[in-house]
Amino acid sequence: MNAYGSTVNELIDQFAKLPGIGKKSAERIAYHFLRCSREEAFALADAIRQVKLKIHACPNCFNLTEDKLCQICADPRRDPRILCVVEQPRDLLALEAAGAFQGMYHVLQGRIAPLEGIGPEQLTIDQLVNRIKRDQVRELIMATNPTLEGDGTSLYISNVLEGTGVKITRLARGIASGSVLEFANKEMLADAMRGRQSF
Amino acid sequence: MSTEKTEALVIRLADWSESSKVVTLFSSDFGKLAAVAKGAKRLKSAFESALDLLTICNIVLIRKSSGGLDILTEAKLQKRFTARHGSLESLYAGYYLAELLDSLTELDDPHPDLYSEALKSLDRFAGDGPLELAVLRWELVLLEEIGQLPMLEGCADCGRPVAPDIWFDFSVGHGGLICPDCHPEADHARHIQPGTLAILNQLLTGQEAAWQRLVVSAPQQRELRRIMTPTICHVLGKRPKMMGYLKFMNP
Repeated sequence: MNAYGSTVNELIDQFAKLPGIGKKSAERIAYHFLRCSREEAFALADAIRQVKLKIHACPNCFNLTEDKLCQICADPRRDPRILCVVEQPRDLLALEAAGAFQGMYHVLQGRIAPLEGIGPEQLTIDQLVNRIKRDQVRELIMATNPTLEGDGTSLYISNVLEGTGVKITRLARGIASGSVLEFANKEMLADAMRGRQSF
Repeated sequence: MSTEKTEALVIRLADWSESSKVVTLFSSDFGKLAAVAKGAKRLKSAFESALDLLTICNIVLIRKSSGGLDILTEAKLQKRFTARHGSLESLYAGYYLAELLDSLTELDDPHPDLYSEALKSLDRFAGDGPLELAVLRWELVLLEEIGQLPMLEGCADCGRPVAPDIWFDFSVGHGGLICPDCHPEADHARHIQPGTLAILNQLLTGQEAAWQRLVVSAPQQRELRRIMTPTICHVLGKRPKMMGYLKFMNP
């Protein structure tokens, strides 16, 4: 039975496609927009339209931007010869929030996941290699997720760059500051031991 | 609904909602399992970092009797698969193992010997021995365990045993080796050498220390893949995704 009519059903279907939104939540949101003012509803529709019209990938680093270059690429204080490679723009934001890095980024737009049909050609690896040559990058920091596929993506890139002379590093792993050794799991401790550094 | 504990290998992961995952596991006691791990993406969850592809974990799960997904409530990491240093082939071999386990086993169909072989194979993929042979051994044991191993001891049609003076052909459609009497129109250039059959036999039944020492020539490697690649594709009904990534499978 078509209880809501096709227009409302279409709205519910569109909301139900959003991440984390099920059918019930989609219905609640749809009813919220049926009750709210036209201005409020159109403001959301307009915001979605503007995002899709204005936001694009930065041609240099593939971060999201609404200008020609993203804020980081356009910042002359950043060191273009140190590149940090991340999977997604969200990873870049997390690293930027830490405020500990003054180089530039390269967003891969995913990770190599052959079992899901994602190969290196679907990522921005070719553009990364060209950028490294063009900008004479001296250090590449691999900040892919510390998963088998994330590490595999880093390994693929390091193999591609073999012989270029670029120093390739990766983010440290192990025990978080302020934690207690006794309660750290053995994987963390093993990572910390392998990645120990001079005091 | 009952709560069960077992050891399992993670063979597939898919995002489900903002913080959860659907995990496919191959366990020693229950065979393949599919379970929801709620909150698995959060750092402070009951799964810590255990739910990654090819990790071996001790798991606790609530079994669903209605046929829905089980609920994973706990996972403790036992061991993580680490590919050979700098070797993508070793990593891709691990992916291939996961792909075949996921595609060729059924839910709730226990194969404890296959589970044990999967763990040994992952160790071999990460170790120093010949990777091609380790992958071939995995394929053979898997096919034998699921009852899909082609006839390699003799003619699949008449049963004539393999002999050094008779050159057999291989046909997936016939289910294994075919002797010249049953397949007289065969192309002689495509015959399987007796040495290649000996390698397959050694891999399947021989001691590990013995087959690890085998030296396989390039023509033998091509013949081995000419038997195994179409067999796997036939059983699977398609070409596995990982075959395109493993260079030695495309000699």
